[in-house]
Amino acid sequence: MSADVELNNVSVTFGSFYAAKSVNVKINGGEFFSFLGPSGCGKTTLLRAISGFQDPSEGSVLIDNKDMFGIGPNKRPTSLIFQNLALFPLMSVSENIAFSLEVRGVSKKDRQKRADELLELIALEGQGEKKVHQLSGGQKQRVAIARALAVEPKVLLLDEPLSALDLKLRQRMRTELREIQKRVNITFIYITHDQGEALTMSDRIAVMNDGEIEQIGPCDEVYNNPLTPFVATFVGENNPLFGTVKDINQNKVKIETPDGDFLSTMNENKKLNIGDEAIAFVRPESLFIPRDGDNFDNQIEVNIESFEFEGNIKNFYATLKSGTRIKFSIPNAIDTSSISSGTKLQLGFESIKSSILPKAQLAID
Amino acid sequence: MMGMYIFIFFAYLFGPLIVMSITAFNSAEFPSISPWECFSFRWFNEGKIAYDGQHLAGLLSDWRLHDGIISSLIIGAGVVSLSVPIGMAAAIVLTQVRSQLRDIYYSISIMPVLFPGVIIGISTVVLWDRIAGLGGDGFISDVGRNGIFLTILAQTCFISTYCFLIFVARLQRFDQTQEEAALDLGATQTQVFFKILVPYLMPAIASAAVIAFLFSFENYNTTVFSILSDQTLTTVIASKVRLGISPALSALALTIIALTIIAAVTYEILRRRSEKKYAQSQEIFVKEKAASGRINKEYKAGFKVPKGIVAILLVLVFATYGATQIVKNDLYGQSCIDAADQEKKSKFLEQLQTLESNELTEEELSGGSLGGTEDYGDIFGDPSLFQDFGGFD
Repeated sequence: MSADVELNNVSVTFGSFYAAKSVNVKINGGEFFSFLGPSGCGKTTLLRAISGFQDPSEGSVLIDNKDMFGIGPNKRPTSLIFQNLALFPLMSVSENIAFSLEVRGVSKKDRQKRADELLELIALEGQGEKKVHQLSGGQKQRVAIARALAVEPKVLLLDEPLSALDLKLRQRMRTELREIQKRVNITFIYITHDQGEALTMSDRIAVMNDGEIEQIGPCDEVYNNPLTPFVATFVGENNPLFGTVKDINQNKVKIETPDGDFLSTMNENKKLNIGDEAIAFVRPESLFIPRDGDNFDNQIEVNIESFEFEGNIKNFYATLKSGTRIKFSIPNAIDTSSISSGTKLQLGFESIKSSILPKAQLAID
Repeated sequence: MMGMYIFIFFAYLFGPLIVMSITAFNSAEFPSISPWECFSFRWFNEGKIAYDGQHLAGLLSDWRLHDGIISSLIIGAGVVSLSVPIGMAAAIVLTQVRSQLRDIYYSISIMPVLFPGVIIGISTVVLWDRIAGLGGDGFISDVGRNGIFLTILAQTCFISTYCFLIFVARLQRFDQTQEEAALDLGATQTQVFFKILVPYLMPAIASAAVIAFLFSFENYNTTVFSILSDQTLTTVIASKVRLGISPALSALALTIIALTIIAAVTYEILRRRSEKKYAQSQEIFVKEKAASGRINKEYKAGFKVPKGIVAILLVLVFATYGATQIVKNDLYGQSCIDAADQEKKSKFLEQLQTLESNELTEEELSGGSLGGTEDYGDIFGDPSLFQDFGGFD
């Protein structure tokens, strides 16, 4: 029941502005795929191109190997869940869910039956007679999903549907969405700017910036081996260390920075030469306070400025010799009561936990 | 002090209406409160044959008024059925137009409101006279010179603009993603229109229809030109007023005011009822949501006499008291009216006698102490010239 979705060299332009630029993706049937990117990066445009509200200016959208050009949203095997859900406020919950069947001329009895089935799927049995405004945020969310599933689409498109919910509910809905996807086993294409959502739910993610895809891959790969400085800083947090390449030994690269030389790991797709300007990235959780006997590839001297307590971890903000600010996190289980602002510390990190990339735009600029 | 201002304001607002309403119940031929003749409903019924033989029609017996009301209702229905769709279509188009064109389109759309109604009326007649002239003697010529048809068109010109504004206000709050959602769920454009947009616009359709009808019903300055040889309520009233006002007009005014108040009160009651229903459903919802019994306590339903019923009872008591007083003092009924007529007739006769006694003698007319006609004969010409002139009416 699921379908492949293929974007071949898709560009969408508004006047001279490229909302999406030569996007190539192949999304497999039954996959939970996410487009992740900051607002305005063109991910919603791509979703509209898939759902049929916007035909691409160049390239083609294939669903089930069929070119969808010129086919309206009401004729495509896709369902879209809107950011604001767009439930019909004048209809009851059941009528909302059965709307797609109603417009297809399904009899009232069959519609009711299907609506009841779906209400059961979303755990809202017996609440079909309620009006939409009588539901809570999470319930509305589930009704929107049920409504989109009523026609048995082959592809479900979700446009940041969780962004309006509070944190707890958002976390619960993540798991629920994932479960529903496994149960109905159709392709989910999810759009979000929240990397936490993308990482927890998706099989694969595509990171987008300025209308272009920067990297496609499984979540852990994107997180651990970013291909561009943008991905490195947008997905999760990262400390950039700017410098020039001093020495290359297979995939180990030594970078010279104002704060000393560091050994880092080069992605095999990104070729660097000695003398190139580069950025080494190290994540806050990969920086450690060395204990006796620890021997890290890299040592770094920091001056603690401030810290914040986040519950499971404690975040420290520090400056390096050159004035560069970095952030590192220590699990709450480790006693850090002796560290306060002004403390000078020696930190260490492994070269394998650091990646080095040619200098380019960062997400946090 | 504040209360005083409010009282003055309302007195200014409703004073004329109240005075007019009271005159409707005075049996005198000229709408007045003082002198008060008799309490009477005759201006609502058949009117009266005056002592000098002139018939003063009441509300029920005035066929011109009836014809006018019927034409006004037909025109109102026509205007509603044209203006509402036109206004709605124009407003929907506005949502589709891109930003630069939008302002121009909007300005053009609301322009008819700014035109004087007189011009709209005249130009409609002029245009359709030409069109009727083209069509020879057939259907087109009949239609083009039909006052009711022309009035519907002329009024629609500007009333559809008011409808447009109502729809624009409602559409501004419309969430366009609902249309997209419906499309995405497989609805055709037609289905989106009838299943999503029209239900959403229903309140606007209702208020646009009411406003269109009211504007049409009370319109005069466009109608007076475009109605040609027909008559609507407003033109009938206007032509009556030109001949002198009659208490029948007060009776008509009171009837219209009463109908308006009844409609407004009914609407308000219905609105409150549905609001209450909504609030109750919300309350149940909140109670269901609240896990703890914190806000879940039972509300005791005490018995309360509605204020409205008390007010109505009070008015009834006063009305009954007033009515008995009026009947007791013989201020109501045929006997009172007959007595008043008799009095007026005798006064009339008295005046006639006075006039007769003042009549000049033949001698006085032919000169006498007044000097006669000799000196002025040339100025007045032949004195028998105006002999058959019936006088001004």
